Amino acid sequence: MTNNAEKKRRQEYVIGDVSNFPEGSHKVVKVGRREIGVFNVGGKLYGLPNICPHQTGPLCEGRPPLGTLVARGENDWKFEWVSEGEIVACPWHGLEYHVPTGRCLAYPNVVLRSYEVFRDGDEVKVRL
Amino acid sequence: MAEVATDKRERRERLEDILVVDCDVHVHESPKELIPYCEMPWRVALENIKDVQEFYLDIPGFSPGTTAYEAKFPTGQEATRMVHTASQMRRELHEIHVDIGILFPDHFLKLPVISQGDYASALARAYNAWLLEEWCSPENGLLGCILACPQDPEDAAREIEKYSGEPGMVGVFLPCAGLERLWGHRQYDPIYEAAQEADLPVLMHSVTVIHPVFPFNTQGFETEFGRHICSHTFSMMANIVHMITTGVPVRYPGLRVAVTEAGISWVPFLMHKMDKEYIERRREVPFLQDKPSTYLKKMYFATQPVEEPENLADLVTMMRLYDGEENTIFASDWPHHDFDHPQKVYQIPFTNEVRRKVFGENALKLFNIDASGRRLNLRG
Repeated sequence: MTNNAEKKRRQEYVIGDVSNFPEGSHKVVKVGRREIGVFNVGGKLYGLPNICPHQTGPLCEGRPPLGTLVARGENDWKFEWVSEGEIVACPWHGLEYHVPTGRCLAYPNVVLRSYEVFRDGDEVKVRL
Repeated sequence: MAEVATDKRERRERLEDILVVDCDVHVHESPKELIPYCEMPWRVALENIKDVQEFYLDIPGFSPGTTAYEAKFPTGQEATRMVHTASQMRRELHEIHVDIGILFPDHFLKLPVISQGDYASALARAYNAWLLEEWCSPENGLLGCILACPQDPEDAAREIEKYSGEPGMVGVFLPCAGLERLWGHRQYDPIYEAAQEADLPVLMHSVTVIHPVFPFNTQGFETEFGRHICSHTFSMMANIVHMITTGVPVRYPGLRVAVTEAGISWVPFLMHKMDKEYIERRREVPFLQDKPSTYLKKMYFATQPVEEPENLADLVTMMRLYDGEENTIFASDWPHHDFDHPQKVYQIPFTNEVRRKVFGENALKLFNIDASGRRLNLRG
């Protein structure tokens, strides 16, 4: 199946106006029975499931995405603050995820599914 | 995977036919023995205490112990055994089927409680020189560990470099009893750097002291029963947690780490505790490339004092939880009061393959030696 045919088969749902998702915002929308966290990171829209695979916490309902700490040998293992605005932490136990990729920081083999969120005129839609 | 040897057709190998590397035996160093090896002015101090009455692992000004604190009743247990010479050691290890013994000190298990840093490092230098001269001999199956003085890590690193080419020295001993700053502190990086460079593993070993640092602030206990458990096992757990949470295995990926005299049953506990914590607190340890248990499983764990559950197969299960077939090493702790005869570990229902690993092959990997005790990492 071609990519286009795939897209046609999938449904698009309007989840709000563009003005509802300003840069730096995050909010949880309901589409059918799904809860989707919609993030506007630097003007790009991302959608992640609002459920943490650790213990089913409401992953996207906490504080807005922040940065996080890394340490690299090149910098003598000193702490560095990176990925500002891109890291969401589950409000329950603090497990961190990189919003643009859905990748879990502590367990990189865990990657959340990403929902395709896009602008269509004045509307924002999610494709499922 | 270790499995209980359910296949009855597999005949259990005899202990006498298995290579036994004993990763923890103790030589007896005394002030008098070390005098010729000690530098001035500290030699004067050793002369001054050479005739002081020695209690078990307890000499004022040398290895302050717990003798002073409690009632001493007579007992038939030979709880104060000591080994004074290499030939005595060789003979006694032979009697318990040990082929290769890894040497640790008696008194200097407590080196960290010596308050004068220069004295402590002078004692460590004297001990290392004495150990190599009087005890270490691959032909004799007696191999030494360089004592690293935590009060002076730079000097300890120099000692490691100094002895790194000696066939008789196969590891670095990190004393833990009464240790002020745990072994993960970055002040010890020179030691790890030198050990990794020399391809010598570091081995932690603790002992009971009453000292105002965790977990040796055991003055609240009324028994040696209680103190002994905490001083050994908690110390190993605290040091390992500290090393992993400060990134020692990340900064020194080639460094091999072993712990002795703490048994093994706490290893699965620690593994799970650290992995659980990692879910919430990864940001505090962002240098870790993997969950903490991954690093823990790369360490080596000595059996003694081996737990003795009613069903010895429980030990097989316990070891399976931390991939222990690959990283558990036999130790007897000869000649100390709580030594394990190899027969007890022999009784654990391992397969022959796992039994051989635990008794010797894993230790050969740890020390990078062959079955005759020859170092495989000597340059030139």
